[in-house]
Amino acid sequence: MATLTRQDLNFGQVVADILCEFLEVAIHLILYVREIYPSGIFQKRKKYNVPVQMSCHPELNQYIQDTLHCVKPLIQKNEAEKVVMVIMDKEHHPVERFVFEISQPPLLSISSETLLSHVEQLLRAMILKISVCDAVLDNNPPGCTFTLLVHTREAATRNMEKVQVIKDFPWIVADEQEVHMEEAKLIPLKTMTSDILKMQLYVEERTQKN
Amino acid sequence: MDYLYLDNIDEFVNDQNKIVTYKWLSLTLGVHVNTAKQMLYHYLQQKRNEGSGTPLHATYLVSGKCVENGSKCHKVSVVREDKLNAVKAKMDVTISVHVYSVQRAELKDSSPLYNTDYDAVKENIKNCNKYSTIRCAAAVPMSSAEVQRAQEMALVPPAGKEISKTGLNENTSATPKPSAKQPAGIMGMFASKNASKSQESSKEVKTEQKDDSSLVETSKSKTASKANPMSNLFGKSAQKKADEKPNKSVKEETAASSTAPAIMEQSQTSPKSKIDIKDEQSKVSSALKVESKDTRNKTKRPEVVDSDDEKMESQQKKRRRIKKPQPDSSDDEVVPDSPPVPNVQTPSPKKQVKREPVSHQEESSEVKRRKRRRVLKSHTFVDEEGSFVTEKGYVSESYSESEEEPEPNSQAKDSSSLKQSFGKREEEKKEKREKKTSTANKPTKQPSIMGFFQKK
Repeated sequence: MATLTRQDLNFGQVVADILCEFLEVAIHLILYVREIYPSGIFQKRKKYNVPVQMSCHPELNQYIQDTLHCVKPLIQKNEAEKVVMVIMDKEHHPVERFVFEISQPPLLSISSETLLSHVEQLLRAMILKISVCDAVLDNNPPGCTFTLLVHTREAATRNMEKVQVIKDFPWIVADEQEVHMEEAKLIPLKTMTSDILKMQLYVEERTQKN
Repeated sequence: MDYLYLDNIDEFVNDQNKIVTYKWLSLTLGVHVNTAKQMLYHYLQQKRNEGSGTPLHATYLVSGKCVENGSKCHKVSVVREDKLNAVKAKMDVTISVHVYSVQRAELKDSSPLYNTDYDAVKENIKNCNKYSTIRCAAAVPMSSAEVQRAQEMALVPPAGKEISKTGLNENTSATPKPSAKQPAGIMGMFASKNASKSQESSKEVKTEQKDDSSLVETSKSKTASKANPMSNLFGKSAQKKADEKPNKSVKEETAASSTAPAIMEQSQTSPKSKIDIKDEQSKVSSALKVESKDTRNKTKRPEVVDSDDEKMESQQKKRRRIKKPQPDSSDDEVVPDSPPVPNVQTPSPKKQVKREPVSHQEESSEVKRRKRRRVLKSHTFVDEEGSFVTEKGYVSESYSESEEEPEPNSQAKDSSSLKQSFGKREEEKKEKREKKTSTANKPTKQPSIMGFFQKK
């Protein structure tokens, strides 16, 4: 029916909303499955018609929401290439990196009525894959922390700094050691392709975790 | 019987790292559910005997009779393998045990089990019990006229409820075609009804405690018969739950729809043992149209829970809808004022305070809005000598207007900061309370993360 282009900001907003909601759920789920935080702070909620574990801790939730709030404009303009969730051990060396590679097709056509339910189905599958990822990953050492990185295309962050999206929530250039991991094993988890969004999820895991 | 299926299962489990439930397997391979269960068992035995390769984990479905709090009940639960023997020992009579799923991952909770079956069942929704043994001649799909009528009637009464759907769900359910609407509505109902129906059926269990052995059978045979007895049976429970739905036809429909998934879900697990019922239920899709019930029970989860036991009897008290921070009806203060809002929640929350079998109950109980509860609070004050003293003590905290607490200011700042994030409703309540957690309660020090965890 309608053929929308990237310039159609409304549609970009829709995609960004969908993606940010998904990333929030995925991040919470990874925190639960990889046992970064005690499971007591998690509560079952429903998303995409299936139960997911979301944290109840206010500061944690706020942090994740603020992060994604800043990422959203980048996604809207299709400038975000990867969103990475890095899990680091006590010495701040990364042990695992969950990489969400995102790409959006330049020309979108919403021809199907069931587009969104199809996307929902694909996202559900991604959630399921995250839930079972502990089968392919080794256990993490205790006392891990996490951080979120965004890889952008070109120099999008320069614009971001000009438009400070959230005050008191500054973004800094990531340390080299967080971005690159030594002796990394690549474990693909899931790929999804749809009319509005393409996403690939894989994990880079350090061979020696302890 | 050829053994190709072993290779199939092996591929699913090891290569694709999938969770293989018996239901999913039966729909994927096109075999009867009992065959699927046997296939999984056989596969598990073979792999365990080989003793090679990656470790496999399995979950089992156990059903049997036991005595809970002095009353007999029929318990159906999905348990992890390591808890299997413990659960079996707790039951007086174990009626059936079979493999529920096989996977490589060690599951921390039961959500992926539901997720696995969701799409497979959704695709086959018109004949999702093709391979099961539950049949019911009375359960037939409603015509679209009936569906629309039911929806209109259902939309009118529940005024006080909000639909807590995500944006995506709204989009999917807003499709104009009724056929497209059916799957979304059905799946929503399916998901939400599973839990609520087991509550209703558990109510039957409670109300008809005449004969234990035929307890479940009685309820099932009753539901299997005509629509009128069904509605009468559910009349009590449905009435309690749905005061806002005086319509009998709506009730019948609820009854018909509700029994179908619940009984099917339960019976699918152990069909042989309940054969003497001779019940027949067919499509779930039959009467599951009531969107408003959808909304109320939207946030329900199906019967499968974490490794904790599933108790049919306690489900009615569990009231999962309260678990989720809904911005609507779980508000205790609002409940007595607005009759349309299901007021059965008022008695159940009180029981629910004690009956939280789920592991993260601590957090949930803090989320629940009770009228009264005793909370461990610490009071910090300056004593006669001018030194700071922090005392911990149980304080009865109330959400009503009555003054109870002597120390309003020292309301644990941790818990207050925690509550901030639990939705507007909570904060509205706080504002309503004339004293205590008013603006004077800005935390004077930054709440630490560990303080949060200690609040358990």
